[in-house]
Formats: sequence, structure tokens, C-alpha cells
Amino acid sequence: MYHQKFLAPLALALGLAAAGAVSAQTLTMGVRGGPESMDPHFSALGSHAEAAKHIFDTLVWSGTDLQIEPGLATSWTAIDDDTWEFKLREGVKFHDGSDFDAEDVKFSIERIPVVTGPTTTAIYVRRVKSVDIIDPYTIHINTDGQAATLPNDFIRLFIVSSDAAANYSTLETAAAGFNSGAATIGTGPYKYVSWQPNSDLVLTRNDDYWRGKGAWETVIRKEIPNDSSRLAALKAGQVDVINYVSSVDYLALQKDADIDAVVGDSVYIMNLQLDQRVDTPLVRANDGSKLAENPFRDLKVRQAIDHAIDRETMVEIVLEGLGRPANQMMPVGFFGSNADIPMPEYDPAKARALLADAGYPDGFQVDLYCTSDRLPGDGAICQGLGQMLTQAGITTNVNAISRTVYFPAQARLEYSMFMNGWGTLTGEASYTLSSLAHSNNPDIKLGAFNRIEYKNDEVDTLLQSGATMMDEAARRATYEDAMAKIMADKAYISLVQLQTVWGTKAGSLKFEPRFDEDTLAFFITPAS
Amino acid sequence: MLGFIIQRFIQAVGVMAVMSVIVFFGVYAIGNPIDIVIPPDATQEIREEAIRRLGLDRPLYEQYFTFVSNLMQGDLGRSFVYNMPVLELIGGRLPATLELVMISVISATVLGISLGIFAGYYPDSWVSKTIMAVSVLGFSVPSFWVGLILILFFAVHLGWLPAGGRGETVMIWGVAWSFPTLNGLSHIALPAINLALFKLAMMIRLARAGTREIMLTDTIKFARAAGLSEATILRRHLLKLISIPIITVFGLELGSTLAFAVVTETIFSWPGVGKLIIDSISVLDRPVMVAYLILVAFLFVTINFVIDLIFALIDPRVRQGASA
Amino acid sequence: MSSDPSRLSLFWAEYRENKIAVLALAVVVAMILLAVFAALISPQDPYDLAKLSLRDSRRPPGFVGTGGYTHLLGTDPQGRDLLSAILYGLRISIQIGLAAGFVSLTIGTTLGILAAYVGGRVETLIMRLVDLQLSFPAILLALVIVAMLGQGKAQLIGALVAAQYAYFARTAYGAAKAERGKDYIEAALATPLSARLVLWRHMLPNCTPPLIVVATVQIANSISLEATLSFLGLGLPVTEPSLGMLISNGFAYMMSGRYWISVYPGIALIILIVAINIVGDQIRDQFNPRLRK
Repeated sequence: MYHQKFLAPLALALGLAAAGAVSAQTLTMGVRGGPESMDPHFSALGSHAEAAKHIFDTLVWSGTDLQIEPGLATSWTAIDDDTWEFKLREGVKFHDGSDFDAEDVKFSIERIPVVTGPTTTAIYVRRVKSVDIIDPYTIHINTDGQAATLPNDFIRLFIVSSDAAANYSTLETAAAGFNSGAATIGTGPYKYVSWQPNSDLVLTRNDDYWRGKGAWETVIRKEIPNDSSRLAALKAGQVDVINYVSSVDYLALQKDADIDAVVGDSVYIMNLQLDQRVDTPLVRANDGSKLAENPFRDLKVRQAIDHAIDRETMVEIVLEGLGRPANQMMPVGFFGSNADIPMPEYDPAKARALLADAGYPDGFQVDLYCTSDRLPGDGAICQGLGQMLTQAGITTNVNAISRTVYFPAQARLEYSMFMNGWGTLTGEASYTLSSLAHSNNPDIKLGAFNRIEYKNDEVDTLLQSGATMMDEAARRATYEDAMAKIMADKAYISLVQLQTVWGTKAGSLKFEPRFDEDTLAFFITPAS
Repeated sequence: MLGFIIQRFIQAVGVMAVMSVIVFFGVYAIGNPIDIVIPPDATQEIREEAIRRLGLDRPLYEQYFTFVSNLMQGDLGRSFVYNMPVLELIGGRLPATLELVMISVISATVLGISLGIFAGYYPDSWVSKTIMAVSVLGFSVPSFWVGLILILFFAVHLGWLPAGGRGETVMIWGVAWSFPTLNGLSHIALPAINLALFKLAMMIRLARAGTREIMLTDTIKFARAAGLSEATILRRHLLKLISIPIITVFGLELGSTLAFAVVTETIFSWPGVGKLIIDSISVLDRPVMVAYLILVAFLFVTINFVIDLIFALIDPRVRQGASA
Repeated sequence: MSSDPSRLSLFWAEYRENKIAVLALAVVVAMILLAVFAALISPQDPYDLAKLSLRDSRRPPGFVGTGGYTHLLGTDPQGRDLLSAILYGLRISIQIGLAAGFVSLTIGTTLGILAAYVGGRVETLIMRLVDLQLSFPAILLALVIVAMLGQGKAQLIGALVAAQYAYFARTAYGAAKAERGKDYIEAALATPLSARLVLWRHMLPNCTPPLIVVATVQIANSISLEATLSFLGLGLPVTEPSLGMLISNGFAYMMSGRYWISVYPGIALIILIVAINIVGDQIRDQFNPRLRK
């Protein structure tokens, strides 16, 4: 078996048992992206956090459906408007045998702003003003004002050992200390063995893990960025599980008896965004002349666009089945999503009628911009959108471009109609709605990603009150209400929710897909 | 001779200085990495913080002098993305690229020169004509396309060889190499063929043209008249005479193969330096881009310098001409 | 200037002897015509979004689509007729090849002749720069430039020109330098004729034959380089696909057996490049006195 041959030198290096025994107890995961460093606080990238979760624990755990659960903290309560109390888990030990306590939490929180890289992890502690240690297993977090969603922020608050990392907590020393393994001491299910950037991360089991012993003695997280190569590696038996099977390969996989495909919903939803400014740059009459007003400010035009989009075809043809039609900016079921919003119907005739009603019987011209290299299918969805809108009468010039060009231009408000994905990574509405749907107001840090100058006063009020509501049921109702109003305005038109596919050798492994798309060795078990 | 070496050495150092300026200002003057390095949902504060941290708020000339003074100490800077010394990052990838390039260039040279001499020696044979026709193809067909076809045929259709990635490695002198293992060789085969084809075509053409010209020269005529056997003529005269252009091209091609490995590595997901540079370009990781280009420039300058020296040894006229 | 009919017909007579070169020339001409008249020949306008249907996407060759006609080479992921997309892609590839070739020719020749004519510091400066660049692989240069300038036709042409002008400069310089040393130029310069006239009448025409050879090769190289850059995702935007972009778009589908999306555009690209190179080879052989029998 190839597997054993590959691992033989490694097994020797680790001083493990005979090669024959290794293969049954080793999990090799072929993943698309990897960590940028072994320092968990360096980057907020999803693949970085995914790797870190093997070695380190977070204060609050985010479950399969992104519901928040106890992690290193066993419970939390808001004791007044700007203080949260966290009770810590007792008896947890770091990989070096030392005890975990409040000192480590304080140290980790204070370390983050110092050592974070450009993809900043400071967002997870942005509301924290100071940390008070009450006793070794109780801390108080003082926030800047009411921070109702602080526990959600802490799902990526990794706890490092205050002893092991003490000398590796400046920007200059952090990478060296963690990449060498000296400071890579966590409380997580696996211990660090070795890592090469863009290559393999090798881990060995932490037998004293507080959740229990993991199924695998050794875990190798192998980075294979190319979709086809990753699949080839799985077919060849070089890896046991792969993430992000592309939609292109998914069809073929379904016919392949040797491979199991596990499909999971993703948090990413593609949203079409329509500029609401009085003067918008990239819309023209059919003869190229300037229009008297921005047609996207007319609700009828926005409704027409909504009716022109055939979401079923998008999913079936463009995504080859890997997605669901979407009618709101978050997966239904997340905190603050609204189950009563109807699925918009595809009706090109109605779209044309609405356009004529709005005073554009012959339509108009618009430049549509999208990313083409950020999420699976984004470029293709964009081109499909172009076809559908053009066929409904709005002549659309499609520009599916690199994210490196798209996002800066989008931030400079250069586009009139644009589409990109948004993932509700915290699993609750305030993350998405207060960034996208509140009018942009830097003073209260709301609406930072509202790049269409969308402003609905009712929505603004709802979102502001929701952010400070400590009562969960009331907060949920507020966000549900806001969601319904935002989607009815159709300035944001949600198109499809993406799905992610994992591949495993048929019948070999058991695991539940996670909404945040993480592939975590601890939660993968042998099928038999 | 010493004067010649010193003169060439000073030239080489000058070229490196110029290259460092061009590369640094070329890469740093245009494009703004900050929009790419930070996530699209970052706030203004985060943005300013990142700009300060990466030193992008200081004037360009100041950044350049910092860069040069670090360079003098062998420090090529830190990657924006990985917060790791660039040298370490590139160093970790270099063995993969080196083994790929060396296998390609050496096999292309050995095979190319043999075929080329054959084609030049028997210009009218049908074998030679076939060799030349194939070389025209190898010369014109873009290498990424050849890569695709190799994958389609050998990996997808026949399933004989893996479609990408690097195989099993063994540690030699603390460096992971994949060519000594069977599995490693099976992975390296397709990318190496892909990378070698262009060089092969070039070597064939060069060796053939050289052979044809030399076979018509008086030296060879006299040698034949003197009754030397064809084998001796081949060995003693032909190989020596065509060696000069071939050494030049071998050297230069070593460098350009390294550059072309960018394409091959992308197609075959070969975890080498070329893949790294493509990834760095797409996220505008400037320190990696600059370091890579400086290293490539250094390599080229060194190769040119060495070629000059070899020439001077083989052909005394070169050094006389230069010092005159 | 040198369009002396007898010379041209002599040249043609010699060219005609090589049947393969004649065939290659015919192929080049045919492909240029196809590209120019793409709009008239194509069964479908691949850029008219109103005429495409997603329901037709990724169909194999021979599929009869909703448009009613047979997609001879199949369709791409957007439901475009691949044959039409190839014809339009051919147009973009040739446009870019010619534009980059022509601009490089102009800039390179000007610099080369200037260096040879003026001499001194200018000569040293220009030729040092050119030699430096020639020692550096064109693909890397183009890659970096395009990464900095961003995507788009103009940027791409700029990158190709920057990567290629040096070949023209070197060639023009060599030829002009050889002419410059000849007595008749010295004599012409000594007469009241303006320097510009001497340059125009005497130096340029003598540089022409080698420049034609370089131009042919470089146009093929531009096309190939553009395709490579597009394949790496650093070329044109996906919505205006050149042949390289079409190949790149189809690459992902190759593993799942939908080979045609990538393979047919590739065949078109190769036929074009190989044909141009064969023509260039023949012209070179004819200009090279040493190889004359």
C-alpha cells in the first residue's frame, strides 16, 4: 500500500511503532489551503483557524451549525451593560503538562493586537477594553459599551500558554517561536510535530485531551491547492479525505463507487448589490447617453431584476447542483434569519412589465462587476446573471475580475451593480446585517460594508437596538424583522447559497460537515 | 587573465546594483498590496495599522535603503503574508524546483545534442528530417498546452502517471528530495518532460546548425584529408567547436528554464519556487516578489560571469579582445 | 523603398519552392481572414448574452442547441458555441500579437538605429539596457509587469512590448551598426543631405530583412506569451476570451472528461503559432546568405 510506504520514514522519525500499524491510526487530510503561521493569532483566514483548531482550543466553541457551545469557558453571563463574566474549565492541561487558567486567557487576549498579521485577528477582541482576573477560573471582560455578541466573537479566540509563549509575543519573535514548535503549546486534541508553509502539518495525538482521546494517533494535514490534484491524491490513496471538491468533479464523483462525497451547506451566499446613490457611474441608456436618474433607486426596477433571475438554473447548471436558491443574506436557520420570506419567482415576462412600468420599456445598459477567483462558481454565476438580465431587457456587460482588483474598487464605490459572496461566519445576523444593511456610519461602527449607500431608517433603528439587546428572544425577533424589511427593499438580492463537498474513500470515514467548512481531524472517525 | 576577471566582476556587480533598483522600484512603485493583504471587510483603523506595520507609510527611497542594507546582511525581508523570512520561504521550496529544472535541462541537453549532431551530420536522412519537424513543434507549441495534453493523455486517459503534485521524498543532507524514490520519479516525469521539450527543440536546432557549419569548414576538410577517422573528427573537432555556443545556451537556458518552471509548476501543482511566485503575485506579496526577482537576476549574472570565464579559458581570443 | 518588383518576385519564386512553407503561409492568411470576418462566419455571436442559454452549456460536439443549429465543436460553460468562441478568440489573439509586435518593432527599431547612429554614451546606455533585458526571461518580465499594471488589453500589450522590444533593438542595432561603418553612409553624411534623410533612405532599408524575420517570430511569441499569461490568470478578463483564456476556462473540465472546451481552442492556437513559425523560418533561411546553396 502506498500509504505505508509514504509514512515509513516519518514513522521512524517520530519513533512510532512498525509501519503496518501506522496506517490504521493515521489520518491524512488533503486540504486546499493552510495556515500562514503556527501562531494561531497571526491570521483570521478560515484555513488558518482550521489548522489552529487542531492544536489550540477556543474560549467559546462553535458547533457544526455554528451554534455557540462551551469551549475552554464552561459558561458566560453578562453581569452588567459592559461586563461579561466567563467561568473557565478546570483541570485542563497544556501539551507541556502545565495547567490552564485565567492567566492564559488574559495573556492570549492581550497578545492578539501585538502579534496579528495583516489579516487581523484583532476583530475577535475589538470590543474588549480590559480583562480582570477574579480567580484562576473566573474572568471579567470589560467591553466598550454593550457587546451582546461578545461570546460569538470569542469562537476564534485561541488560548496559548502564557508560559510557553511568553518570549514569543512580539511581531518579530512570534513566527520563529511558534513555527519551531517552542511556543506551539495548546490544550487542543493534537500536539504539534512539524510544519512547512504551503506543505504538510504533522500532528500527534494529545492523549489527555479534555473532550476525550481522538481516533487518530497521527494526523497529517497536507496542502494541495489545486482542485484536480487534490482529487487525484484521494483516488491514488495518498490522502484519506479532501475538502472543496469542485463542482466540476462532483458530478463525476457521484458515479464513482470508490469515493464517497459528503455535501454540506456553506455559510456563503452570493448577493447582487444595486447602487442606491442618486448618481451612479456605470448605468447608461441603450444609446450610451446618461439616464435622467439612477434606475436602481426605483423599487420596480429592483423587483424586475429579482424576477429576471432564474435561481434554479443557476444551481442546476452553473453550480452543477452544488447549491441552493437563496432568498436572504444568511442561511435559513441561523440566528436572525427569517423563515417567512418567500422565494422570489422567476418570471421574465413580469420583469419586462415592471421595467416598462418604471419607464424603461426598452431597458437600459449596465456594467456588472463580480469576483472570478474568490469562491467556487463566482465567475460563472456572474456570467449567467449577465445572460438572464440581458434576456429580460437590461443589457449587461459582464466583468468577472480578480478579487485583488474588485474589492478595492468596490470599496471606492466605483460600481453600480456588483456581486460577491458573503459568509455569516459567526452564525448570527448582527455580523452580516450591521455591516451590510445599516447605513454607513463610522462613528457607531455600523454599515462599514454597505457599498451601495442603502439606507432604510426603520432598518437602521432595528439594527441599532438589536446590537444592545441582552435578551436573546427579543434580539432574535428584531433581526428577523430587519431581515424581512431589507430583503423586501431588493437593494440586496440574494441569489444562491453555496455548498461544499468533501471526498473520502468509500465507506472509510464518518464525519459531519460543518457550516464553517472546517475539516477537523478530531471529529472525523473511522467508519467501522 | 586576472584583469579580465576583475573587469567582468565589476561589471557583474554593477548590473546587480542596477537590477536591484529596477526590481525594487518596479515592484514597490505600482500597485497597492494593502487592499489585497487585508480582508475586504477590514475597517479603516485596521487598514492604517497594517500599512504602518508593513512599513508602507515611509517614503519609497527610505524603504529601498532599508531593503539594501538588510540585503547586505543576507536578509531579504519578511513575507507580508507569512511573516517569515523570505529566504526561508524560498529555501523550503527550492529543492523541488531545482530537481525539476536539473532533470529537465540535463536530459534535454544530452538528448538534444545527440539528436542535433545526428541531424547535422546526415542532413538528408529521413530520420533527421523527422527530428527537425518534431523540433519545430517543440519550439512553437506553448508549453502550458503541452502540459495539458500530457495530463489528458498520461494521467486522465491512460492513468499511468499522477496528474500533479510531488511524490514521496527522502532526506539527503537535511533536504527533502523526491527523485531518488520510484514514487517521486513517477510524479516528476510529466512536469520534467513538459519543461524539457522546449529546451530539447532548442538544443537540437543549435547542435544541428553548429554541426552543419563546422562540417563545411576547412578544419574538417583538412582533418579528413589527413586521413583521420570520422569518429576522431567528431570527437576531437566537432564536439569542441560546437561546445562554445552550447555552453552559452546551456547556461542561459538553465536560467530561463527556472523562469519557465513557473508555468509548469502551476499546471502540475509542483510545490516549487515558481508556484510560490505566482501565488505571491496574485496577493502582491512584495518582499517575496522582490526577493525572487533579485535571486533570479543574481543567478543570471552569475551564469553570465561563469560563461565569460569558461569562454576565456576555451578561446584565448575572447580575453585578448576584452583586455585590448 | 525596396519594393523593387523583380526582387520581390525573385523572393517569392524562391519561397514557392518550399511546399510546406507555402502551405503554412496559406494557413496564416486563412486564419487572419477567419479572424477578420469572424462576425460573418460564426454561427453565433458569442458575446451577445441575449442569444446564449445556460441550458446549452458544456454540451459535447454535435449537440443541437436551443438556438436550433448544431454546435460542431460543442459549447463552453456559458453555453457559447465553441466554434464561434474560437473564431472570436482567434481575433483577439491575433490583434494582440500584431499590436504588440508592431509597437515593439517601432520602439525597438528606433532605439537600435538611434544607438548605432548617435554612438557614444547614448549607444552604451541603450545597448547595456537591451542586453541586460535580453538575458532575462521574457515570460518573467511580462508576468511581473502584468501583475503590476492589472488586467486589460492595453496593459497586456504593454507587458508584451516591454518583454520583447529588446529583440528588435538588438537586431536593428546590429544591422545599422554594420551599415554605419560603410563608406557610402559616411559619404552621404558628408553631403548636405539631412541626417534624417540618410537614416530614412539608407540605414532603415538595410535593417529591414532581419527585422522582418524577428517580427514574424515575435508575433508568434506574443500570441503564445499572451496565451500563457491568460492561462495563468494574468491576461485578459474572462469575459473577453482569447484562445489562451478559452483553454484556461476549459482546464478545470478536462479531468471530468469534457475535453473539448480546452482542446479545440488549443488546436487552433497551435496551428496558428506553428504556421507563423514555419513562415518565419523560411524567410530567415532566404535572408541568410550563408545557408544559400
